[in-house]
Amino acid sequence: MLNLRWPTPDGRPPKALWVTALGVLLLLLVSAPLVEFNLWTLVTKADDTVLFVGRMFHQQPEWEYIPQFALKMLETLEIALLATVLATLISLPLGFLAARNATPYPWVGQIVRDVAAFLRALPELVWALVFVSAIGLGPFPGVLAITVVSVGFMARFFADALEVIPAGPVEGVAAHGAGWLQVRSFAMFPQALPDFIGTLLYVLDHNVRAATVLGIVGAGGIGFDLVNAIRYFEFERLIIIILGIYLAVTLIDRFSSYVRGQVIHGGVQRHGN
Amino acid sequence: MAIISTSHLSKRYANGTAALNGVSLALEAGQFTVILGPSGSGKSTLLRLFNGLETPTEGSVSINGTVLQRRNLRHVRREVGMVFQHFNLVGRLNVMTNVLIGRLAYRSWLGSMLHLFREEDFRIAHEALARVGLAEKAWVRADQLSGGQQQRVGIARALAQRPRVILADEPVASLDPVTSTEVLGLLKQICREDGIAVVANLHQPDYTHQYADRVIGLNSGRVIFDDAPGQLTDNRLQTIYHRDSQPQETRHAELALAHA
Amino acid sequence: MATERLVNLPALPPKPRNLIPLWASLLLGLCWLVVWHLDISFQTLLWGWQDILEYFSRYTSPDFRDAPKYLWLMLETMAMGLWGTVLAFIIAFLLAPYAARNLSPNPWVYNLTRELLNFMRAMPDILLALILVSSMGLGPLPGALALGIHTAGFLGKFFAESLERVEHGRYEALDAVGAGFSQKILYAGWPSILREMTGYTLYILDRNIRTGAVLGLVGAGGIGIALYDTLRMFNYNQAAALLIIMLGTIIVLDRLSGLIRSKLH
Repeated sequence: MLNLRWPTPDGRPPKALWVTALGVLLLLLVSAPLVEFNLWTLVTKADDTVLFVGRMFHQQPEWEYIPQFALKMLETLEIALLATVLATLISLPLGFLAARNATPYPWVGQIVRDVAAFLRALPELVWALVFVSAIGLGPFPGVLAITVVSVGFMARFFADALEVIPAGPVEGVAAHGAGWLQVRSFAMFPQALPDFIGTLLYVLDHNVRAATVLGIVGAGGIGFDLVNAIRYFEFERLIIIILGIYLAVTLIDRFSSYVRGQVIHGGVQRHGN
Repeated sequence: MAIISTSHLSKRYANGTAALNGVSLALEAGQFTVILGPSGSGKSTLLRLFNGLETPTEGSVSINGTVLQRRNLRHVRREVGMVFQHFNLVGRLNVMTNVLIGRLAYRSWLGSMLHLFREEDFRIAHEALARVGLAEKAWVRADQLSGGQQQRVGIARALAQRPRVILADEPVASLDPVTSTEVLGLLKQICREDGIAVVANLHQPDYTHQYADRVIGLNSGRVIFDDAPGQLTDNRLQTIYHRDSQPQETRHAELALAHA
Repeated sequence: MATERLVNLPALPPKPRNLIPLWASLLLGLCWLVVWHLDISFQTLLWGWQDILEYFSRYTSPDFRDAPKYLWLMLETMAMGLWGTVLAFIIAFLLAPYAARNLSPNPWVYNLTRELLNFMRAMPDILLALILVSSMGLGPLPGALALGIHTAGFLGKFFAESLERVEHGRYEALDAVGAGFSQKILYAGWPSILREMTGYTLYILDRNIRTGAVLGLVGAGGIGIALYDTLRMFNYNQAAALLIIMLGTIIVLDRLSGLIRSKLH
């Protein structure tokens, strides 16, 4: 036997590490039946999956479908954009209400934070399901669903951003006799703006992804075509849809990380002065 | 035979700046060599060429008779320890692991993937730590140590490699004067006792007289002084730190000269 | 004296053009166009507020008779989230070093890995679940795989960015002792970003359990299918019970992982 040991006083692996590893392993073992984990199916079905994906590339894409696809994709992006704008408008005041240093009453802040946690707890598709059964099929329930979840996220992150701004400038403005709203719009808002924009871009990014699948429950966008293409094995459409989603999401991702970089490196002028 | 030798070593960076210009040197085992020069003179580049952290544009470096090449890089680096200005320890790992990192190049891939080491490596690391006087800190996280202690761990890491050469890139530039003399004294002692060639970049000429066996002065990528420290007169020193027509940097040179 | 100062007032530099009103009105116009194109009428929402209240009042008497079944389904959802996260972690752990600019052995590998991670991120997990369900059959396993693949894209990107932020000197020190690529990652890379990694992974676990709750809609296991069925049958009482169970579990888990994350700091 080789004389091997770990670089710890007793030569055994560090406790934090093996306790975590063992814990995760145990959880995995216990939950294996729950996910119906079976190495055999995984290996045998891997073939089928490869075959399925392979078939996508064997067929000539259905070029005539592209105009319809473009329209649906446009709808998807519109849903995401509209929901993001609506959510921003709603979240801005909520953020001020929820932030410890900006709220008029702390108990209001706590309530807003709890409501926000509630709104973001369920995924968009659950909300979409509820809204579709309330107001019928179409993009509107989709917009509402994404707006609700985005408000949950943005109100919280806006409040977090406000809570970490330096107090100095705020006191400076307040010392000159500025009113309640003036302090918030002239001292707090400009300081938190870069963070706000960062959050906004992340949410926009996320919303575009979310909007692509809303159609699964009939809430508009490309999702409906997507689900049909898979259910009815329309590979000649599926390839267009997948590549289209990939392209759109990637472009939005690149755009938002570009803008984020600009904001972080001071490229965006801070207004409000 | 020289332990490090270079011939016509030149280095130009992609942006066109020439860091080194035809440097030919031979450094002996058991000698403490100090490289002096103003910042931007190429002394850091020279040191980094010695263990292949930079590749020369022209010329070559050989360590113990082996010419540095891409494929023997790892093999050669095993025998060349390096000590850094900012210590470059992994803060979250304990001191012992940081020293054992010096053994990595000798060990199999699989064992090191699991963070497993041989008892033999522990003995070497233990010795190295005892040598720098930090054995009692073996299980402390490296980021809990003071700057001087961290630099000593850095030296222990180099010692654990069982090196023939130790390169020290501004080893005391981030330390206070008392710990600086400690660290340089330690390097000098290692150089004497083990017959290891120590090459250090310094920009404080006053330490040079105290520790160096040999001084190499660099300016604008050329060797303009290569002699015993006793020959380093104020006049010669001025030529090393001389700059032509760079007014914004003269202040820096003056500052450096103020130490002399 | 005062008037003299006024007379000699130095001219201000030209006022920088403020483009914000322009952008704001452009955005407003765009939104108007979108509302028109999507045929959304906010009026109906306003006029129909009574109907909406009535609709949501249908959720006010939750029916917990099937609670054990729902709890079991929620447990299944959590298991999916866990397996998905572990899969994502493993993939990210293996790929991230190649997607870190300062570590990747060559630019080709770097770009390829980044694009691969980007692709995994771009594919919605529901889409992946749909594909995997059609090829592997119904059940939670394709759901867990879909979650794993999608979030591996995120984790891989975050890990790679963290690895890029580690001080250059630490990697250089490993180079200088003659360590290889994987030794560099294991001794300088991962230990330096351990805390961030744990935070990201917990966050992703949270997210995966949340998203796992809807994968049932496409037949990939978990609680989603029960919700879909009850709503399709207009069983609002049962739907309410399901929603409450989902919500409760998710909020508790969110608090828990928030607690662990704050402990790490």
